[in-house]
Amino acid sequence: MAYIDVLAPLDGTVVDLESVPDEVFAQKMAGDGVAIDPSGQVAVSPVAGQLVKLFKGGHAFGIALNDGVEVIVHLGLDTIELEGKGFEKIAVEGQFVQPGDPIVRFDRATIEAAGKVILSPVVSSGEGTIIRRAGGVVKAGSDVLFTLEI
Amino acid sequence: MENTVERTVTLGSKSGLHARPAAVFVQHAKGFHSQITLTKEERTANGKSILSVLALGAEHGDQVVLKVSGSDAENALNKLTRLLEGDLG
Repeated sequence: MAYIDVLAPLDGTVVDLESVPDEVFAQKMAGDGVAIDPSGQVAVSPVAGQLVKLFKGGHAFGIALNDGVEVIVHLGLDTIELEGKGFEKIAVEGQFVQPGDPIVRFDRATIEAAGKVILSPVVSSGEGTIIRRAGGVVKAGSDVLFTLEI
Repeated sequence: MENTVERTVTLGSKSGLHARPAAVFVQHAKGFHSQITLTKEERTANGKSILSVLALGAEHGDQVVLKVSGSDAENALNKLTRLLEGDLG
């Protein structure tokens, strides 16, 4: 049995994934996890791995670790439609990242003014089961958001 | 009975294969016994891994080769083709 701590990629407050107003995330089709109502402006890597996907608009990214473990961070809902407005990419797709490495800078006010919800799902889309998850306020790159058992 | 079938499909999803359509596609793909891959140009993704499908970077209108191998290959090919050609969101 191996355990992987997935750190919070965002500062903010933890919200149950089931209450996210997007059925693909709420019904865990993209994987189990939690959502964060962010209070900060930077999304960081929650784990060590390869940044296998960083969307062109910067609104979401995915990191792959060994053994089929994958973590996806999706900044806001339906934010692909903003085509990058309100987001600024910091990292480069394909690079290897450590927990806490900055990936994207975002501006909540711009995103909300464009009519999008900024509630951000963080899910385990690959192997492993979540055995423990945080609640309340979390700090990016330092608090454990959830722990995976592989 | 083992069977490998493939088809070239044009992506219908208006914003391409981003998080939501990839999750829906993979959820359906996982329901089949067969092995499923998607190939865009030289890059091949495991159809049962969301991150692998996302990394393909398939956009609206792109042609991808859907390849299915296994006992329920025909069924999977037809179902998944319809999903990819339609608007998965």
